[in-house]
Amino acid sequence: MADALGNGRYLVSGRIAYAVREKGRVWVFIDGRTYVVESNDRDAPDRVHVTDDQVALAAPMPATVIAIKVAPGQAVAAGDLLVLLEAMKMELPITAPRAGRVTSLACREGELVQPGIPLLELD
Amino acid sequence: MGRVTQILIANRGEIAVRVIRACRELGIPSVAVHSDADARAPHVLLADRAVRIGPAPPAESYLSIPTILNAARESGADAIHPGYGFLSENAAFARACADAGITFIGPPGDVIDRLGSKIAARAIAQKAGVPVVPGGTSADQSTEAIAASARSVGFPVLLKPSAGGGGIGMKTIRDERTLAAGIDQARREATAAFGDGTLYVERLIERPRHVEIQIVADDHGNVVHLFERECSVQRRHQKVVEETPSTALTPRLRQRMGDAAVALARAAGYRNAGTVEFLLDPSTGLGAGGMDSASFYFLEVNTRLQVEHPVTERVTGVDLVHAQIAVARGEPLPWAQGSLAQRGHAIEVRVYAEDPSRHDLPQAGPLLLYREPSMPGIRIDSGVTEGGEISVHYDPLIAKLIADGETRDIARRRAVEALRHYPILGIRTNVSFLIEVLEHPRFVAGDIDTRFLDVEGEQIRARSAPAVSDGVLEVARAVFTAKADVSRRLVRRSAEREGGSTAGEDGGANADPWDTLRGYRG
Repeated sequence: MADALGNGRYLVSGRIAYAVREKGRVWVFIDGRTYVVESNDRDAPDRVHVTDDQVALAAPMPATVIAIKVAPGQAVAAGDLLVLLEAMKMELPITAPRAGRVTSLACREGELVQPGIPLLELD
Repeated sequence: MGRVTQILIANRGEIAVRVIRACRELGIPSVAVHSDADARAPHVLLADRAVRIGPAPPAESYLSIPTILNAARESGADAIHPGYGFLSENAAFARACADAGITFIGPPGDVIDRLGSKIAARAIAQKAGVPVVPGGTSADQSTEAIAASARSVGFPVLLKPSAGGGGIGMKTIRDERTLAAGIDQARREATAAFGDGTLYVERLIERPRHVEIQIVADDHGNVVHLFERECSVQRRHQKVVEETPSTALTPRLRQRMGDAAVALARAAGYRNAGTVEFLLDPSTGLGAGGMDSASFYFLEVNTRLQVEHPVTERVTGVDLVHAQIAVARGEPLPWAQGSLAQRGHAIEVRVYAEDPSRHDLPQAGPLLLYREPSMPGIRIDSGVTEGGEISVHYDPLIAKLIADGETRDIARRRAVEALRHYPILGIRTNVSFLIEVLEHPRFVAGDIDTRFLDVEGEQIRARSAPAVSDGVLEVARAVFTAKADVSRRLVRRSAEREGGSTAGEDGGANADPWDTLRGYRG
């Protein structure tokens, strides 16, 4: 068991770790590495169930759509570039999480998109 | 000569904090500006005065020239320091300051204009006798004429469509044998891609190193250089690790590059601090002359203070922001070239809010826990505090960690040790990635070039993402249980209400949910 030393510090196996709880998960820092540990509790109030597609096909943060590289009906392979976003002065590529066919687009070039909402659908 | 009795800092984050500290050291009142997102940011709290300049998007705040000039007028500031980024290399802003009777702490607008244009800057370099990457577009576009210019440029050459960009249609030619066929093919591809077959011939530099020279010039004809910074560890043209001295330079090569930077600054009529960037071709240092006679080529001039300026400060012992302010006041430079020297070694790493496991995706979020290490040979330039936030609106730079020491290896080990004691929680960062870069055998050996991260990045990323250990889970469990038994009981009760429906993979209704933790790397 790790000992709490106060102010976010813990002693574990003779080393100092830092940890902080954020809702249903804990951030841990030991020796230059950061980890996120989640509880398995299904009833934890902050647990949100999302499918992998929803995560993979949505903007990770508010961003501007620079380019849409696919059209409805187009077949894509895993890893293909689908949409190019820009945020925080960086280009953010949205790539296909799996092979499939694009069924519909839910964004336009130049549009400011919000996180969590898929930018397109794969069948 | 400008009046500098109160300085407005037209920036945010670590560089605003850095400049405000210099103002305080010099006894000059400082004025911070801030968007709504930064109302309680460290630079705002540190300055003598603060002026709100608009909503969070930079176009409506930190990039708005009229709003910033208004803030200067209202607060009585007679000088503006632009930091880096935002308006720092905007010639119109420098001119607007001059027109408003405000001293712009940087070069004049026309100098920014000249050096901001790639073509004009290349012409200035050539006039000053500073080498540029050999190349040109032949007026005669026959295969024979292009072949002749390829021979005069020297192999290997790169054939580029004049009308193109983004690397499309570029062709590498290594020797005479493939030259004629290569030109014809490149012409066909250029015509197909851009409707224009005109070719530009350029010497290909295969494993270049990015080496830049810091310069400072005053109003009295003095121009000095403060040696080099090597910034070859970069990805997508964003620098990640910078250091000085460069492991590639000999004293003779350093002098040649410094002289070239000074000559270029003189030819451009440069004022204040700036940086002349070069590509160094290490393959040209393999001959009898060694690296003393290696070739380097002018890339561009950054007409501002650089992000990586602290490594220069660590080894030369000067304060570049103090010097910038002195020059803006019309004072002569505080140092002559001969009084400047490099002592020891300094390495800077840029700590970014980003996820190395997801294409270095920038991250926004709260800094739930943020503790800067304090140890020998470590300087941290940051503009954040625990409880603050990394906003989606701005650059994801959290801090710069600068380590110095008598030798490169000591500076490197100090940087690693400091990163191991730099907890940043609530947001994903590149801290573990930086440790693995600094520990990579090629970095340790100083064997780096601008493709280092393209080649080694995947391996470095994999090493920086270890599995969750028992120790990590123990700490997590301690955190959950430290939240008092109350939350534990609440969770139990909710499980009971479900009639034990949470039984199964989690180990039964009465199992403590925190006993079965799932971990993944952050």
